[in-house]
Amino acid sequence: MKIETRLFIAGTPLFLLAAGVYALWTANTAQGWEPVGTLCILLVGAMVFMVGFYLMLTAKRIDERPEDTEHAEIADGAGDQGVFAPWSWWPLAIAGSAALAFLGLAVGWWILGIAIPFGIIALVGWVFEFSRGQHAH
Amino acid sequence: MSAIMADVSTATAAATHTHQHVTVNRPNPVSVGTIVWLASELMFFAALFAMYFTVRQVLPADEWAAQADKLNIPFSAVNTTVLVLSSVTCQMGVLAAERFQPQRKGRIWAFWSWGMHEWMALTYLMGAFFIGGQVLEYAELVHEGLTISSSPYGSVFFLTTGFHGLHVLGGLIAFLFLLGRSFAARRFGHHEATTAIVVSYYWHFVDVVWIALFFVIYILR
Repeated sequence: MKIETRLFIAGTPLFLLAAGVYALWTANTAQGWEPVGTLCILLVGAMVFMVGFYLMLTAKRIDERPEDTEHAEIADGAGDQGVFAPWSWWPLAIAGSAALAFLGLAVGWWILGIAIPFGIIALVGWVFEFSRGQHAH
Repeated sequence: MSAIMADVSTATAAATHTHQHVTVNRPNPVSVGTIVWLASELMFFAALFAMYFTVRQVLPADEWAAQADKLNIPFSAVNTTVLVLSSVTCQMGVLAAERFQPQRKGRIWAFWSWGMHEWMALTYLMGAFFIGGQVLEYAELVHEGLTISSSPYGSVFFLTTGFHGLHVLGGLIAFLFLLGRSFAARRFGHHEATTAIVVSYYWHFVDVVWIALFFVIYILR
């Protein structure tokens, strides 16, 4: 996973430098240093570092993936890619309740009163879908 | 058609049972996804910090100080300490989850034998203490005339700390879901351990954001 790690971490010094240049540049204007750009560029640096650093730690914990070796065969990548729920309706229910909730913010607070019960049911259903019924373990 | 669909879903279910969230040569997509999402949360808080510093810069210094001096620093420092320590207890819970130990092996006060349930319940209580403290602090400030609409300082103070408080509240709900999943499982496995790990990522993140907020709002003022 070296390439992913580098791709993210390489952004950190770039954004730190850019934030410094931006801060100094705007500090010389009549309005003084400009905090929005300075902070956001700085924290973009933190953001890419966060992802890159996590990928670096992950790379140490797992074996080399087929993608990481030049001599890998397609078949080496076979097997589980992760746990997914191809039949699940719950994400749709959650998205629907979230859309209704945001409609409530835009149109009228009373809609939120309808969205919240739906949201709770959808969230509970989604969180526990692998813990009950035929998936109980 | 429905018979085929039923076959497909049972086959998938069987596969997930034997092999939940762990492969030796793949990163766990749940953990990586959580980190990427938390990185985007960082930018959400970046916007709040940017807002705070902008208002601080354009407001006359004495007008800002008149409001900022209303803060009760010792009270907030105690609250902050509890939240920071809750990250430690949360990590103890993760260590228990990683050795697949949901419950304590000894007496309730023998914390060295605690499982994930006990550590996460304690973390929940500490997080709830923080929220309770924040409610008290808000009540005190409103009593002194600082509200979200009273002044620009009030707006940025309540927006930054309030959005953080909502995140802590979300974390508390996540802890309930984590405990619920663990109690629902007869066999504590990778599914539950992964949940514990990603909830802890979120909790540590919210904790670190609070340390930054505390430093900027209460120490720098």
